[in-house]
Amino acid sequence: MNKKSPSEPLLSVEHLKMHFPVLGGIFRHQVGKVYAVDDVSLTISRGETVGLVGESGCGKTTVGRSILQLYQPTAGRVTFEGKDLTRLSRKEMRDLRRDMQMIFQDPFESLNSRHTIGNIVEEPFVIHGIGTADERQQKVKELLRRVGLSARARTRFPHEFSGGQRQRVGIARALALNPKLIICDEPVSALDVSIQSQILNLLLDLQQEMGLAYLFIAHDLAVVKHISDRIAVMYLGKIMEYADADTLYAHPAHPYTSALISAIPVPDPTCRRKAEILSGDVPSPIHPPSGCVFHTRCPYAVDQCKETIPELAAVAGGAGDNHQVACIRTGELRL
Amino acid sequence: MKLNPLTIRKIRRFKSIKRGYFSFLLFVMMLTVSLFAELLVNNRALVVHYEGHYYFPTYGHMLPGTTFGLAYDYETNYRELSARFERENKGNRVWLPPVPYNPYETDLKTDAYPPFAPSIAEKHYLGTDAVGRDILARLVYGFRIAIAFSLLLLVTNYTIGVSIGSAMGFWGGKFDLIFQRIIEIWSNVPFLYVIIIISSIVVPSFLMLVLIMAIFGWISITWTMRTVTYKERSREYVLAARALGASNFRIIFKHIIPNTIAIIVTFAPFSVSGGIVALTSLDYLGFGLPPPTPSWGELLRQGWTNLDAWWISGSVIAAMVITLMIVTFIGEAVREAFDPKLHTTYE
Repeated sequence: MNKKSPSEPLLSVEHLKMHFPVLGGIFRHQVGKVYAVDDVSLTISRGETVGLVGESGCGKTTVGRSILQLYQPTAGRVTFEGKDLTRLSRKEMRDLRRDMQMIFQDPFESLNSRHTIGNIVEEPFVIHGIGTADERQQKVKELLRRVGLSARARTRFPHEFSGGQRQRVGIARALALNPKLIICDEPVSALDVSIQSQILNLLLDLQQEMGLAYLFIAHDLAVVKHISDRIAVMYLGKIMEYADADTLYAHPAHPYTSALISAIPVPDPTCRRKAEILSGDVPSPIHPPSGCVFHTRCPYAVDQCKETIPELAAVAGGAGDNHQVACIRTGELRL
Repeated sequence: MKLNPLTIRKIRRFKSIKRGYFSFLLFVMMLTVSLFAELLVNNRALVVHYEGHYYFPTYGHMLPGTTFGLAYDYETNYRELSARFERENKGNRVWLPPVPYNPYETDLKTDAYPPFAPSIAEKHYLGTDAVGRDILARLVYGFRIAIAFSLLLLVTNYTIGVSIGSAMGFWGGKFDLIFQRIIEIWSNVPFLYVIIIISSIVVPSFLMLVLIMAIFGWISITWTMRTVTYKERSREYVLAARALGASNFRIIFKHIIPNTIAIIVTFAPFSVSGGIVALTSLDYLGFGLPPPTPSWGELLRQGWTNLDAWWISGSVIAAMVITLMIVTFIGEAVREAFDPKLHTTYE
């Protein structure tokens, strides 16, 4: 509330941990923990897009949901415009939700199939008691136009639309309250490739018009590259590497990042590259490996990787704080 | 109100299942007929034309015999009045309902003991029971009571079950755990004994019987609702509503319950038939509604004790079979029309 320096980030996540209990036994007591998110820190400035990539089940969706306090984080702080969200009362949090919204992965699941498109887009106004019924209808029409749908769509139901159109409805709903931050949880991964770029371009246009900040969660590095300013790479609940989008592609400093980049298909059949295929599966987040969580699949792992937990630290000779990596062999590896 | 096109499609599908749809129409007809049973099965006349005046005795106060120039002060016997007017032939007339008996009156003869066999001449189309009451009249009024009973029971059970079940599924945790154990204990209480004990202390009234049945009847729908809510709660549209700042109340009533309606509707017909069977069997055992309430169970017991009077057991069994079959056909058709598996589309 007090001082707001221009460099202060819109959102900052510090040492966020989200552990889900594993229940068992007759009395359903806790018999274990899922380390879904384990010590994640990142910041997002106004109007910026931060990409969050990782394999399925690495905890990226959980990061998004705990930022919005849809889950109560186990530990850590989430600060939005100087306010610690984890300490807010229910009512304060409700008011703050106007500033931060979410777009979901599956546009069919995220729209209630029993409500009309009009009802769905109007709901944010109803919940926050904004405007009269007529004003709300007017706003719904505007919002639908803005995301490229006709105003006639209001009286129809989600199943009457294609995946891309439904995702536009989801975007309209997220935009309704003029938020400052939108968490995009794999907004295009359920869509056709041709539709993906339409939706991505819509998101970019809206960002320019409204000065939105995005946390863009995806498992596809190619998509993230197209839209992000900075990218965080996640593996088993931890951030492995965090850098500007261009730096990350040009000079990946973590073996995992480099493996992900080499897995991006190149639209050129004559191009032959050295593919680094990762072997094995992602280990269970209930029993994460000791030391560096990636050591079980890392082609460069040494014995020490099993013992030392690497901290996220600036890459020596890199772009300073703008390029951080969590690997004890950073200096030695040629990736 | 605009109906969801999915709902319209379900209704259309229901109509296309002929067996269920015709059963539904027949059931609605039976329901309507039983609601206006006083006009069809009654010892009061529909219309009496007496000395230039018209009387409509069906609804309203009873008309004493003196109204029509008879010598008594109690309620007019319209069947006798009709015969008398015909004999006198002075332009007075009585229009009687098709079945001119009410379910409580005994129609006795001087030279024989009931039960009397069916007779079209006496307008006892299905005969009389062991005390001389018209069986058709008792069947029709008994149907009305049984249906009212099971519908009321349905509403009570579902109100309790849907509230507790969705609360269990929605909040989960300790609340869910405690209620699960309560239900498990509760469902082990031998329900029939409880009713027998209660009925032997007090004679249960209609509402009390509904209440006693509801005490044990809410359990199954609660389980179902719990599971369904549990599933719906973790779907993304609920998260989306929560991200918008929707209250729990709004999420439950605007989002979750509308999405579980299909399941509630699917179970309802089977609960209705269950209610009818439950009331009939309680009446049969003598622990149901107090006599002389018209009841199918009581008729069934009479049929059992008077097996040579085949028309008693014959008609009540036929009535039960037809009713239960109709309700079950409706239930099957509803289930088929609302089957969510047919409506999920993957892209």
